Amino acid sequence: MTSDPNPSFETDFWKDAGARQTWDEIIPGAPRETQPYTLTKEAIGDFAEAMGETNRLYFDEEYAKTTPYGGIIAPPTIHILLMFACTGTTDWMRSPGTINASQSWFYNIPARPGDVISMQGRALDRYMRKGRLFVIHDNVFTNQNDQVICSGRGWTIRPN
Amino acid sequence: MTTTAEQAFAAINEGDSITGTSFQPTRETIKRFAEASLDFNPLHFDDNFMDGDFGKTNFGGVIMHGMQNFALITRTLTDWLMERGGYHRRLETKWLKPVKPNDTITPTATVSEKRETDKGRWVLFDISVSNQNGDRVAVGQAMAEFPDTLPIRS
Repeated sequence: MTSDPNPSFETDFWKDAGARQTWDEIIPGAPRETQPYTLTKEAIGDFAEAMGETNRLYFDEEYAKTTPYGGIIAPPTIHILLMFACTGTTDWMRSPGTINASQSWFYNIPARPGDVISMQGRALDRYMRKGRLFVIHDNVFTNQNDQVICSGRGWTIRPN
Repeated sequence: MTTTAEQAFAAINEGDSITGTSFQPTRETIKRFAEASLDFNPLHFDDNFMDGDFGKTNFGGVIMHGMQNFALITRTLTDWLMERGGYHRRLETKWLKPVKPNDTITPTATVSEKRETDKGRWVLFDISVSNQNGDRVAVGQAMAEFPDTLPIRS
């Protein structure tokens, strides 16, 4: 069994729920607290398999070496994992009942095994529409060389 | 003979359509997605929690992660693009309806425009995901590049 270089993950999203910023408390423009996450070959393979990916580029190093990518890469959607992996239990994106309304992502270069990924994230805006409380956020993921992996924006409906 | 990105780009036409593999979520696939993505929001597991209302909305039971839908669209695009030398650059989606266990969803990407810029060859797609009743559950746009050299770091 390969050791995971990252701290264990709290899967109970009710834990620390009271310590998270609510819609009223979120400050657009203020950075979210983040921590670096080391991406392993095992994490990429597990994530890709769960996404239904079958492309050997995500699983098979020998095959991946023969492609223009020169080795295993993570699927673009790896940011779904990275967002939770790079934030802690008090991050407001874990608030139970957070509903994803819309997302847009731009992909610069692929993430790879061994990358140490950092996240910069913040709320950009919050507003009410049709009785719902919305927050717009943006996230940027970079690797250990400060190269941008991908950048995205999301619209979530916050629990009331 | 190897096809270049330029040739692959030339062979794509506005109106070309890609239909992805259909997906039927179950409670098991939802659990698997949560474990792999670390998204353990109780929206996706907790029947008691989902009995309640969310503002004006009552989902009437657990729902699939919206990002599962996003991943299904992405896989549809990357599987098609990679064999043509294309690079998936952008995806924007909006969720219109929740997807529940035992629904069947199918993504479609249709080429809406081809465009060349100073340094790039671009293909734009309209995205739609429908359920087994023909209802659209997600819509969006995507953008792919057909570069001479793939954007991989040295």
